[in-house]
Amino acid sequence: MKHGPLMFLGVLAAVLASWLVAVLAPHFQIGHEEPILIEELGINYPVDRPGEAKQGAEVYRAQGCQYCHTRQVRQEPLFADLTVTDLGTNAVETRRVVASLRRDLAGVDGRRLPEELPRPLLKHVSYAAAEAALRRLTNAGAQVELTLANLGPDIARGWGARRTVARDYLRDHPVMLGQVRFGPDLANLGARQTNEMRLYLKLYNARLELPGSTMPRYPYLFEERRLRPGQEPSPDALRGFGFEPPPGIEIVPRPEARQLVAYLLSLKADTLFYETYVPRPASAGAAAVTNGPAAAPPAPTPPPAQP
Amino acid sequence: MSSPQSPPPTAPAAAPPAPRPVRVPVEAIDRSCRWPVLVLVVLAAGWLVVAGALAVLAAIKLHAPGMLAQHAWLTYGRVQPAAWNAFVFGFASLAGLAMALWMTARLSGAPLRGGGVIILGALVWHAGLKIGLLGILAGDATGLEGLELPPYASPLLLGGYLLMAPWALLTFARRVEAEAYVSQWHLIAALLVFPWVFAAAHLATNFLPLRGVLQAAAQAWYLQNLQVLWLGFLGLAAIFYFAPKLTGNPVPSRSLALFGFWVLTIFGSLAGQVRYAGGPFPAWMSSVAAAAGVLTLFGVYAVAVNGARLGRGAAGRFRESVVLRFIALAWLVFVGAGALAALNSLLGVRQLTQFTLVTPGLDYLWTQGVAGLALLGALYYLVPRLLGQGWPVAGLARAHFYLAATGILVLAAAFLVGGLAHGAALKDPQLGFILVVKRYLPFAATGTLAHLLWLGGALLFVLNLVLALVRCFQQAARPVWQAWWTPQPTGPQPAEVKP
Ligand code: HEC
Repeated sequence: MKHGPLMFLGVLAAVLASWLVAVLAPHFQIGHEEPILIEELGINYPVDRPGEAKQGAEVYRAQGCQYCHTRQVRQEPLFADLTVTDLGTNAVETRRVVASLRRDLAGVDGRRLPEELPRPLLKHVSYAAAEAALRRLTNAGAQVELTLANLGPDIARGWGARRTVARDYLRDHPVMLGQVRFGPDLANLGARQTNEMRLYLKLYNARLELPGSTMPRYPYLFEERRLRPGQEPSPDALRGFGFEPPPGIEIVPRPEARQLVAYLLSLKADTLFYETYVPRPASAGAAAVTNGPAAAPPAPTPPPAQP
Repeated sequence: MSSPQSPPPTAPAAAPPAPRPVRVPVEAIDRSCRWPVLVLVVLAAGWLVVAGALAVLAAIKLHAPGMLAQHAWLTYGRVQPAAWNAFVFGFASLAGLAMALWMTARLSGAPLRGGGVIILGALVWHAGLKIGLLGILAGDATGLEGLELPPYASPLLLGGYLLMAPWALLTFARRVEAEAYVSQWHLIAALLVFPWVFAAAHLATNFLPLRGVLQAAAQAWYLQNLQVLWLGFLGLAAIFYFAPKLTGNPVPSRSLALFGFWVLTIFGSLAGQVRYAGGPFPAWMSSVAAAAGVLTLFGVYAVAVNGARLGRGAAGRFRESVVLRFIALAWLVFVGAGALAALNSLLGVRQLTQFTLVTPGLDYLWTQGVAGLALLGALYYLVPRLLGQGWPVAGLARAHFYLAATGILVLAAAFLVGGLAHGAALKDPQLGFILVVKRYLPFAATGTLAHLLWLGGALLFVLNLVLALVRCFQQAARPVWQAWWTPQPTGPQPAEVKP
């Protein structure tokens, strides 16, 4: 290799190219995304966090929670089932559509279709195909039900109603997606865990609730105060869920703990809009909630499917 | 008092890979390197121990949540990044620069210039890293893994770098032979890529942050380039320099090496997004990264074939030379980690391994396994040349090798196997999370043992280095002391003795 300079220009060009592809191209694609107005809810999604929660994001970063917790929900390529519940008034037209969807059932004319349609009509097809079929069938006047055939373990665990998308993180700086799940995903913690006291206790000592937990203790986010005889503990002192402070002592969250919990409660990525085309089937959240008694996620808006 | 290497330290290096006509004698080159490179080596050795101790602490904290919990600055989320930064920017980068400066001078046949400036650069870098690490422990980390150094520290590192690295390029420009050797490609590429990757990523995430997840895209790009083109190429430079020197075999195929170099540069640089495959990004990003990740396999294959042929018939040399053992193991880890990383970029595999111990496991293999082992080998070779005498206790070096090697292999086994168990548990939604914790915890806890072994080895290295420096100092000081204590036979000497 006699052409030293040329070679090193080549190296720089290669790294420049990878920067263009891996960072700049996505920047031109999604770098100018703005929060979107969701009229049904009257919000601009993602919603700006209240001030205390914003400070909490700094606490989260400073404690390095993201070294054990991810904040991104995964969804495998989506499959759906489609079931016809009612052929509607124009049965001839509906049957014609059904026949073109399921050529194995009959010839294109649809006259030789069996009386009872199979349920589901389409099984484990790609979501886009199911949605297209749904549109054609509803245009023909039929009643159709679309259900998701696979949710993926994240959603089955109750970590979210849908996968997270780029827009969910528009207001975050830094973005703490996390890379390892030593602990559960927190993208939707605020949707499944609404009890402040539980969160305080989790931060104070996670083993109180789950004896084998490896979640670190954060006692320095709390203040231990001595109670004068006969003095009542302050209303925000830690208590309940089987926790009793030592007699004569109260344990009170410091401002950092308050901010952090406000932030944790604000962690929600379940609003639906067109990028997150996944409709929420009735059974999704109920499948298996594994981290404590989680509240059912609030019902999001229905998908903008039917024209 | 024997050196752990086969050739005596002061002898000219055995059979350089290609004949070189007019060159400065190696003794003169080593002398020109002595001070700047020794300063870098001493700083790197200190960081090696600091990083090892922090890594042990982090590993313990992962399974003992109550230990030292009342100290905010020792919480897992701070100690873990502190350990990583201390290793990558403290040990690997400084040792890498030491090796790069020395090796460029040797391969170019020209003495190293810029000694004082290099020392200044090393101290600026060192101070910047110290400030940065204290910042991380104080809770000022930026929040992005790998880019934690706070904005008041990262410019110092870059400044220090710009005082050091250009001297390697200037020395390279004055090389005796136009034709550059394999190691030189990797070195110069690494030296050119590092500042640009480091600066671009810190700019895009901290100083002029991109919006939302694009920060994570820049971070993934940065980590990948740092691992392959900086740490990986420093390792490959060491492998292609020391393996031929110590086995006596020439690099079997230069064109294969060139092919591997380009494949790793082009595709290795592009595969970063594998880290976030399937994440909240446009889908094409995962696909591009997966394709690039699989294609790096060709580069790994080139290194594997060249390395395997280099080691042929050199079994005896392994027994004699600790350096060769470190280098050979680094090569093995490079091939293994490279193949696994390519496998891991397949989307099907990634669905299982993502978010598990496999991710940190592969990162450890690149940082500690490839760069760490190769650079330790390099330091074991070059320090005796700089000091002009062998290692004080050769046995310590051998013990270090066994500790480091077991540490890496235990870590790899625990995190890769444990990662599969972790992934399988995460995939099963019926398993409550606390049961997921129970599945991965034994493997994560094994990491403590691995880091302890690594730290033990690091301490032996530092002990050996301190002994060598003390002995050198004593020898240098003895004439001075003697001259001072014995009454002067003649009148006062003129101040400037020799012209
Ligand atoms: C060493 C790894 C680790 C770190 C660091 C860590 N956690 Fe955890 N976390 C866990 C583990 C393991 C669990 C699961 C066991 C449990 O719930 O106690 C958990 C559980 C949780 C839960 C309950 C989740 C649920 O689904 O109910 C919350 C909330 C939480 N962590 C918040 C945090 C916050 C906030 C931080 C930073 C201050 C943090 N964690 C830092 C390991 C960690």
